[in-house]
Amino acid sequence: MNITFSFIIIDDSELDCFVTQKFLERSNKSLTINTFQDAEDALKIIRESRNKKSKRPTIVLLDLLMPGMSGFKFVEEFEKFPAEIQKMYRIIILTVLSSNSHPIDIHRVLNNGTVHSVIEKPLTKEKLISLLDDIEPGQ
Amino acid sequence: MSEKIKILYVDDEPDNLIGFKASLRLDYQIFTATSVPEAINCLNNEPHIRIIFCDQRMPGKTGVDFFEEIRVSHPLPVRIMLTAYTDIESIIDAINKGHIFRYVQKPWSEADIIWAIDEANKFYMANSMLSIKNDELQKAYNELNKFAYSVSHDIRGPLTGILGAINLAREIDDVEEMKAMLFLMEKSVQKLNTYVLSMHDYYSLQRGELKITHINFNTIIDELKSIYALNSKTNDVAFNVCVKQNEDFLNDEAPIRLIINNLLSNAFKYQNKASRNKSVEVNVEVKNSEATIYVKDTGIGILESHLGDIFNLFFRSNSLEVGSGFGLYNVKSALLKLNGQIEVTSVLHQGTTFKVTIPSI
Repeated sequence: MNITFSFIIIDDSELDCFVTQKFLERSNKSLTINTFQDAEDALKIIRESRNKKSKRPTIVLLDLLMPGMSGFKFVEEFEKFPAEIQKMYRIIILTVLSSNSHPIDIHRVLNNGTVHSVIEKPLTKEKLISLLDDIEPGQ
Repeated sequence: MSEKIKILYVDDEPDNLIGFKASLRLDYQIFTATSVPEAINCLNNEPHIRIIFCDQRMPGKTGVDFFEEIRVSHPLPVRIMLTAYTDIESIIDAINKGHIFRYVQKPWSEADIIWAIDEANKFYMANSMLSIKNDELQKAYNELNKFAYSVSHDIRGPLTGILGAINLAREIDDVEEMKAMLFLMEKSVQKLNTYVLSMHDYYSLQRGELKITHINFNTIIDELKSIYALNSKTNDVAFNVCVKQNEDFLNDEAPIRLIINNLLSNAFKYQNKASRNKSVEVNVEVKNSEATIYVKDTGIGILESHLGDIFNLFFRSNSLEVGSGFGLYNVKSALLKLNGQIEVTSVLHQGTTFKVTIPSI
């Protein structure tokens, strides 16, 4: 796989961060991966990335239900960034889904176009491969 | 019944009112009014009137008009029409517009009235029980909704994490890497375990009855001290306790333990690991039939903007440590049960102090 992305993982669960990171590392050794347990920290890094030129496009794997800043709030804040920052990132929601939990909210963030897709936890090798295949042609 | 049933009788003829009052006042508390404004005034002053008798034919407003009006403004009392005037129109109006419970014909016999009162009272009781039950149900439903929401995060969250890890484990050959992951898996399992335990606390607080005993705070604190001794030692947190109790204290012990234990658990959990002078302090003083408990820590503190929310179910101010979002909510429920109060003061990066006051029963 010839991937030219870097990754940001945002998940309040340490285990989920670890597992996602290891899966990604296994798909490609040379990836840059940053993990955040607090969405606010990730937002700060993204805000500061404005000054860095010639950055690789970054995929943000985002959990939704988190204490402090939730995934929805993160997307909301992200949408306030200037377009030149926004176009450097692709947000993919990686979360636990259940029939009664916030389907409307998910549709809302998907319709805005900021969020590329939604993947249901648990992450597996197969899901990751299809995700990477899916995102590449779009770039 | 300790208190007499309150009844209002509205009639424009004072003689009728006197007769009614004379024959019933021993068994019931009777209020009378000679006009509709007077009756409404009486209802406003006496919110516990259960039954209203009203004459149909009065100057100004009729009985039906009166009932129609108070059906909205004072819906609780049971309405009974009292009349000699028996045309079908007024009966239909009384039923359809006034939503009356009974129709008693004049001249009435005492037996008729007493029977009507008994039936009306049963109806009133059933209705008010229903409204109390309804409120309780509404509260239970609201909490159930919160549960449904939290189940996905607090139960399915750790579970899918563990599933993902198992999935990844098939790919891992390195023992160290595997150990690192097992450590994180253990944390997730512990989180689930804590969640289930707190759910049990939550349930017993909502349902249980009070069990009043003589409480010795020295015993409670000594036990907690031995429970937290290990934590204090391994994490290098000084643990100081002070109990002053020179009088008897009566209340339910289990919720008191739960409150102190939850506050202590938080005090130890949310310490700044890098700090040198870490301490947790518990002070209990029983004076003038009231216990005042201080739990003070030198931990990470709570954001001021979060202070208003920390007692809410599933609210978590901080994601650094394993927590279920039940702890302080359970503390608050326990205090509600014991008729106690809690106050919190916190300075970010310096520490938090909880002050709990519980009355002796």
